[in-house]
Amino acid sequence: MFFHIVLERNMQLHPRHFGPHLRDKLVAKLMKDVEGTCSGRHGFVVAITGVEDVGKGLIREGTGFVTFPVKYQCVVFRPFKGEILEAVVTMVNKMGFFAEAGPVQIFVSNHLIPDDMEFQSGDVPNYTTSDGSVKIQKESEVRLKIIGTRVDATEIFCIGTIKDDYLGIISDPGAAS
Amino acid sequence: MSGEPREEEENAAELKIGEEFLKAKCLMNCEVAIILEHKYEQLQHMSSDGGADQVSQVFEKSQGYVKRFSRYKNPDAVRQVRETLSRYSLHEFELCTLGNLCPDTADEARALVPSLVPGGRFQGDERIDKMLNDLSLIKKFE
Repeated sequence: MFFHIVLERNMQLHPRHFGPHLRDKLVAKLMKDVEGTCSGRHGFVVAITGVEDVGKGLIREGTGFVTFPVKYQCVVFRPFKGEILEAVVTMVNKMGFFAEAGPVQIFVSNHLIPDDMEFQSGDVPNYTTSDGSVKIQKESEVRLKIIGTRVDATEIFCIGTIKDDYLGIISDPGAAS
Repeated sequence: MSGEPREEEENAAELKIGEEFLKAKCLMNCEVAIILEHKYEQLQHMSSDGGADQVSQVFEKSQGYVKRFSRYKNPDAVRQVRETLSRYSLHEFELCTLGNLCPDTADEARALVPSLVPGGRFQGDERIDKMLNDLSLIKKFE
């Protein structure tokens, strides 16, 4: 899910930037440092949308650098266990398939694909039902449920399932619908 | 590791998403699409020398994703969806899941958002049906 949240960060600024454009410099540096990063706690920082408050700077002894506490609003993407979302299939193999929902990768193991779907190898590897009516391949859009997340300091990776009611394919790139 | 107080395991189906995110504002894909589009235009204005290709991979992927999975494109419709859904005493997270997935039936809605069931907010199908109907009307007249 995407969220709009307020985060805080201590920004260090070199003395050469102290002047009328200090705030601009601070904001530009904040965007450069924070956007595109990922933390286990807050998820992926997609975009900073505003700066709420720049606190009083503290001069660091010996270096002349100043640390400013900055409060900023941003859009983050944070997947949760139990969340249901839509994703695009990026790779299919006999172990299962990978899908992407925005910045996050989700793996769906073949144990979590309905039993009536079989893996078919070939030019376009896919999972197909025995009657051929449903096919999951690269670029398919699927609705899945996240059942596990692995979080480390700079990355979030998810495990998903499509073996439940109202989950599975939403659109099939092969079929003209 | 043992003996340390562990945080309660998260589970979006029961709205266990942590204090911080419970209080935060959730965004539907269509809302994110508008925000990111706006930000992208701003970036292009700021630097004429093609600064727009400096956006992070996370930004690019998110933008591609929300463009692909936005149910409502028109900003007025997006606002209406939030307004309409907020009349049903939903939690932010429930509201956005419904707005993103647009279930067709009450059964589907309860399967996708299990937290709707307890608490007696939606006894019987009528209220859910009405809500889903409101949503599909917005889509129809977009």
